[in-house]
Amino acid sequence: MYNHSMNLLLILFGKIVIIISKVLNIGNGSTWPGHIALENDKNFIKKILAKNQKLKIILIVGTNGKTTTGKLIQTILEKNNNKVFQNQAGANLLNGIASSLIKQCNLAGKINYDFAVFEVDENSLPLILDNINPEAIVLLNLFRDQLDRYGEVNIIANKWTRALSMIDKKTILILNADDPKIAYLGNSIKNKIKYFGIKGTSKAIDHASDSTYCPECGNKLTYRSTTFSHLGNWACGNCQLKKPKTDLENFKIYPLPGLYNKYNTHAAVLTARIFGVSDDKISGALKNFKPAFGRQEIIEHKGKEIQIFLSKNPASFNQSLATINDLGAKNLLIILNDRIPDGRDISWIWDIDFENNLKDFKSITVSGDRVYDMTLRLNYADKNNVKPYDRLSNAIKDSIESTAKNEILYILPTYSAMLEVRKILTGKSIP
Amino acid sequence: MKRHQSLIINHQSPITIGWLYPQLMSTYGDRGNIIVLQKRCEWRGIKLTVLNLNEGFDEKLLDDIDILFMGGAQDTQQQIVSNDFTSRRIAGLKKRIEDGTPGLYVCGAYQFLGKYYKNANGTKIKGLDIFDLHTEHSGEGKKRLIGNIAIKTHDGKIIVGFENHGGRTYLKKNLKSFGQVIKGFGNNGMDKTEGAIYKNSVGTYLHGPILPKNPEIADWLIEKALERKYKKRIKLEKLNDFLSQKAKKIMLQNMSSY
Repeated sequence: MYNHSMNLLLILFGKIVIIISKVLNIGNGSTWPGHIALENDKNFIKKILAKNQKLKIILIVGTNGKTTTGKLIQTILEKNNNKVFQNQAGANLLNGIASSLIKQCNLAGKINYDFAVFEVDENSLPLILDNINPEAIVLLNLFRDQLDRYGEVNIIANKWTRALSMIDKKTILILNADDPKIAYLGNSIKNKIKYFGIKGTSKAIDHASDSTYCPECGNKLTYRSTTFSHLGNWACGNCQLKKPKTDLENFKIYPLPGLYNKYNTHAAVLTARIFGVSDDKISGALKNFKPAFGRQEIIEHKGKEIQIFLSKNPASFNQSLATINDLGAKNLLIILNDRIPDGRDISWIWDIDFENNLKDFKSITVSGDRVYDMTLRLNYADKNNVKPYDRLSNAIKDSIESTAKNEILYILPTYSAMLEVRKILTGKSIP
Repeated sequence: MKRHQSLIINHQSPITIGWLYPQLMSTYGDRGNIIVLQKRCEWRGIKLTVLNLNEGFDEKLLDDIDILFMGGAQDTQQQIVSNDFTSRRIAGLKKRIEDGTPGLYVCGAYQFLGKYYKNANGTKIKGLDIFDLHTEHSGEGKKRLIGNIAIKTHDGKIIVGFENHGGRTYLKKNLKSFGQVIKGFGNNGMDKTEGAIYKNSVGTYLHGPILPKNPEIADWLIEKALERKYKKRIKLEKLNDFLSQKAKKIMLQNMSSY
């Protein structure tokens, strides 16, 4: 009884914190309440979920695409008349998940939703699986990203393998068959697995490739085709491990351009099918899909159209460049920050393939904490007409001005830079 | 940066960079170091080719290399490279380092050059035994040495980069460090040394990558390579390094604030 009332007290307190941070515009309402609740009771999440046995939980993990895939799944499930909530993008540690539970439950601890879709930080997956027994886990990809915070790709893959070996046998996994390390997670597990992929087109392997070695025997993998980075139709000539048979490689509608969004769409479609949503319903939902903030989000400003492509590591940056090239981009603003959410180490900008992916732009502007590092990088890729700006607001103002009425200004920011851009353009970093 | 035409070394045979294990030993933007060497030669009209020395390479190729480069790697990859370093390949590399071939060895590659590397489990992995140093990882519980770093070389150059290593490296007395730590950890976080320099080979923990913001190191490597090749003193033409100096200055300013 004591425990029970304690829990309700934490919920009440957490809700007050959320309201206060909203009113005062402190912006930490997405992690504080959960943090405080977990400090007081480390089983807070387990207890609140025990009271909500009917709530189905879907976890999404991977270096790139978590937020977009989460939003795709939410949109489809809602179209199917389910009540769905997500944790706030970026608040994807244990405290972010606890916070979103506090926000969505009533004062008696009841959550009146059918589904919770949680995006999960790469490092936090093991801890989160200790606290949550999900219906399904979507594992998207593993790319080189913030080596200073996350460590090397292999270390994360090993953590995931250990964590997944202990999950409930009823949990269904949705795995990317084209990513060797992700596909391999399914090898030692008895759970039901659905695999997605894409029919590859290119033969060449990008420079920024991480997993071109066999996860089983360490031999070099061969690729019949690739889509981008190390994703593709892979096989090991030594131990015969190869890309697993997929359940989905093509769908009738894609709401967002870019190869990477094809993967996200396939992951969302397979997840929705598991919960019995028909393909017609899925297509209907995808037709009206609006992108998540900062992920191809379109903002109108002073009569000009601006589109933000969050670009936070070599794989996502290369995909952003490839996609805006296809869209005929003329005006580009790149913003490079080196704060904690971006990673303090900016070495990764030298792994971006500017040499081949940066086509004929009318204007290229650069800003951010490390504006001169990025300008220098572009200079070494023979881009000599780049304009560096110390002040972000000036960079935005001038690059909007040099964008013609019928053109779009494409902004490629790192994470904290994306929040700054939104704040300048819309008054709010997070919608 | 302006393109210059070099008068002295145009139309001569190109210099060759030997990139050791570009696929296995390439992380943290190591490729940037190669791009900088390529472009700084191209801008001066010096012909340069890059020779990738992948798994199973013919050690005879080492004979025609003018600059050696090797980067860092993940543990699994490092193990594959370790297995690929046969005694013939080690002898070949040792010969080139001893004969004064300029080279840059970053992080994992730097550790490789020493006597041994004791990993987090306490297992000793034999090094190439070319540099008189050893590296010890004090276990998973010990914190990694991570962050921006600034050092001062023995001839007074300020060099900046980013370090991220679990291993602590200790130099023997007769081996000269690459520089003194101004801000950051360096070899072991204790004795204020960073990296090591032996003949014309530099071993360092500095990522960033190191060469873009420290073009003086790139030019030193190129100069040494040309001097060895043409057996005369070479003075490279100056390039416009405004951007790299500006980027370096901002980093130093930020570092002095913490």
